Amino acid sequence: MKITSCCFFLVLSIIFISCNSGKDEKKENTTKKTTPDSINRILPAKPVNPYATVDISPMDMAYFPVDYPKLKMAGQLTAAKPHARVIYSRPHLEGRHIFKEVLKYGEPWRMGANESTELELYSEAVIQNKKIKAGRYILYCIPQPNEWTIVLNNNTDTWGLQQDASKDVARFTVPVKETTNSLEYYTMIFEHAEKGADLLMAWDNVEVRLPLSF
Amino acid sequence: MKKAFFLFPVLCFSVMIVAQSNVPPVDKSPLDISYYPVNYPVLKIQDKITEPLAARVMYSRPQKAGRPIFGGLVKYGELWRLGANEATEIEFFKNVHLGKKKINKGRYTLYAVANETTWTIIVNKETDTWGSFKYDAKKDVTRVVVTAQKTDTVVESMSMYFEKTTSGFNLIIAWDNIKTAVPFTF
Repeated sequence: MKITSCCFFLVLSIIFISCNSGKDEKKENTTKKTTPDSINRILPAKPVNPYATVDISPMDMAYFPVDYPKLKMAGQLTAAKPHARVIYSRPHLEGRHIFKEVLKYGEPWRMGANESTELELYSEAVIQNKKIKAGRYILYCIPQPNEWTIVLNNNTDTWGLQQDASKDVARFTVPVKETTNSLEYYTMIFEHAEKGADLLMAWDNVEVRLPLSF
Repeated sequence: MKKAFFLFPVLCFSVMIVAQSNVPPVDKSPLDISYYPVNYPVLKIQDKITEPLAARVMYSRPQKAGRPIFGGLVKYGELWRLGANEATEIEFFKNVHLGKKKINKGRYTLYAVANETTWTIIVNKETDTWGSFKYDAKKDVTRVVVTAQKTDTVVESMSMYFEKTTSGFNLIIAWDNIKTAVPFTF
């Protein structure tokens, strides 16, 4: 009986794993290895595209309220405009340990890939008791093992490899939480919080949250 | 004991996969961005900017994936969201013209109606929305008809980018074997 239940659980686990990880595996097989700071665009293995190749670190965006565009489509909006959105490119691990092997502690990191990561505030926000005006900002951070300094900067529409600290708007220090799992693709999302939202940065075995209130 | 030992990593791995499932996977129609001047962000860090930022377009890139696109997936004569996921967004950082219509600097949503030889490009005021499901013609800023050119190569991922012209810039839209140019002038 015990053996049967063990086998049953094993089979279930395998099915679950293969269902969940299939997408990522497919993607990785078709991409070539590159350094995260490469500004060269990599041609995917199969598709021919003479115009604009699909990036190995694809762009993504997240809104707060979460899924604002979908809520708008569904006629379920509770606010006339969103509070915030973040636009960032998603590098992936490819077997590397990012916070130990690739990024250097104490040096600025663009919090993504390619173009600078952009945070747009549609209305004024408060972060760690500091008022931040509505507008477009870029984000970068200075990671340390136990905390990150997250920087809001005015130098928008730029490439993430070079930061101009003279255009810094504000700096916030937030703690790092280590996780037991490892996340393949760098991820930014807004999570609903008591007074607003947490902007979550997650990659490899690290999670960092920047709390915003609106 | 042996069984328990064998089961432990399986359990851990299952938990790990469950823990990951609350974050968004990489989209199969990835988001992308194009600027005019072309590659403006790279030019900026190289100190090679020769003209001010004029426009950027942000869109999700569906794949052909073996399907006939125009006249197939995208039906002729019907409204098309010109991308995937969130509505395709164009932002002008200065006033531009499309045909004779002046478009004030700001953010807009783009839609299209594809036909065999021409496309209608729609500039609409409703931003931060999803696809074309809530399209409201009352919020149109302007519409323009452009020529749909056949290309020799087949483009797998829908592509949008800018090209310099003598009087402004073209927004090029290419997918499958069709390419169009939307002429913006200053």
